[in-house]
Amino acid sequence: MTGIALPLIETGTGDAPIAWHRELPISRRQFLADAIDAASQLPDTPRIVNLCVDRYHFMVGFAGALLRGQTTLMPPSRAPDVIREIADEYGASCLSDTLIEGLDLPTHQLCLRNSLAEPDWPFISSTQPAVLAFTSGSTGRPQPNQKSWGQLVAGTHLALRRFGIHEHTHHLVATVPAQHMYGLESTVLYAMLGPNAVLSGQPFYPEDIRAALAHLPKPRVLVTTPIHLRALTRAKLDWPELDFLLCATAPLDGTLASTAELTYKAPLHEIYGFTEAGAVASREPLRDQRWHLYEGMHLSKTGDDWQISGPQLAQKKTLTDYVESDDGVHFVLLGRRSELINIAGKRITIGELNHRLLSIPGVIDGCFVQPDPTRERLAVLVVAPDLDETILIQLLARCIDPVFLPRPLIKLAALPRTDTGKLPRKALLELIDNVRLSA
Amino acid sequence: MNPLSEIEQEVADLIISTLNLEDVGVTEIDPEAPLFREGLGLDSIDALELALAISNRYGFQIKSDDDNTKQIFASVRNLARYIQQNRTDG
Repeated sequence: MTGIALPLIETGTGDAPIAWHRELPISRRQFLADAIDAASQLPDTPRIVNLCVDRYHFMVGFAGALLRGQTTLMPPSRAPDVIREIADEYGASCLSDTLIEGLDLPTHQLCLRNSLAEPDWPFISSTQPAVLAFTSGSTGRPQPNQKSWGQLVAGTHLALRRFGIHEHTHHLVATVPAQHMYGLESTVLYAMLGPNAVLSGQPFYPEDIRAALAHLPKPRVLVTTPIHLRALTRAKLDWPELDFLLCATAPLDGTLASTAELTYKAPLHEIYGFTEAGAVASREPLRDQRWHLYEGMHLSKTGDDWQISGPQLAQKKTLTDYVESDDGVHFVLLGRRSELINIAGKRITIGELNHRLLSIPGVIDGCFVQPDPTRERLAVLVVAPDLDETILIQLLARCIDPVFLPRPLIKLAALPRTDTGKLPRKALLELIDNVRLSA
Repeated sequence: MNPLSEIEQEVADLIISTLNLEDVGVTEIDPEAPLFREGLGLDSIDALELALAISNRYGFQIKSDDDNTKQIFASVRNLARYIQQNRTDG
């Protein structure tokens, strides 16, 4: 299958910005010259793990890889062990713009030479594999999900129209990295495939985010997560005018959603997606709790499974969550089926966390619990008579990303297992509540 | 453990209460021990919470481009010194 030729970027006028480096715009023409320069530097492997922290550098590396016919790999975490496993298994080399502590792989450092070439606007085949995004499997082994360039282009066009950012330049500030599907789609691809421009930095503290927004022209969009949104609404700052906010990774509670709209005096859109399909729906939670599929997408039920189809999907994908839909285009999220935990864009399953916990010498039994997905901090219940809390945390810190470290860590004589060995969630939550109340 | 100055004790208590560290058995913090990663094991979400607590208590905003946020958050001692230099709460 040869596919059809699709543009690498929405050209607009070549002088229009595609990114901002602080207050300085970077033109689409400059981006293309940089991408061609990057393509000439990339190592000669079929796949690239793009670890660039600066979003513009990531975009240049990603576009360079597309031009060379290379696939960009997106590991589920930046932990050196995870990157090494994936790079080894998929014959990939690493591209970065910073030194990554503890990563003992040859890593190509991206070097932008301010190329002044005036290239033709390039095209990429719709069937070319563009990214492999990984989910953390229940066994702990990351599962690859391939997206062709045609799928990314089709999905991005649906999102751009949904949010009304397909005609005029909107300026995006994001608190999420580029290296997962939400970050890639909502920042890098909105800029490459729409008329939009994205800030190269990833501002972190509320004051950084306020300053970053204030430095950009209107209309502005903030792309963020519940964790950041909660912090931003509590920081007592005067916010610059926003056109709207985008939030994803975990559904927001109504209080936070309304506080966010009051703080920013702008509508809040949430995005629903999963790694196997990317973003597929959005909602404005204060106006309608139901999720609205992107135009042209459809939900249908086969047995107990809901399947989703759409122009950006090569075949139907089964939803990983419990949903209910009356009309096939709106749905209510009833609950999460997968054990997948997503905190600050880092993904892992409860199964893998438990596996790591039980591998610690001295741990007799134990399990991770996510008491409330919107508060996001995990709890752990553990039977380990000879290890104290501090040691246990230190041992866990060696094998899991710090965002998954539990708080509270509750030591028990035994877990409340049923006769069949199961752990009812209700019993676990009661135990956690009791410990919190007595603290 | 090194003795803590008054402000260091205050900052240590603020960290423990803001981040619910009693839940993981932490009741005191060595003022020179690293707070993140191999030390107390704090992460970026904690940094965000701490920045909010500090701005509420001491009346100034933490910024990434402050000469070196990593240095500032390296230990209770560094953080206490930085707070004393920047506080606007009198």
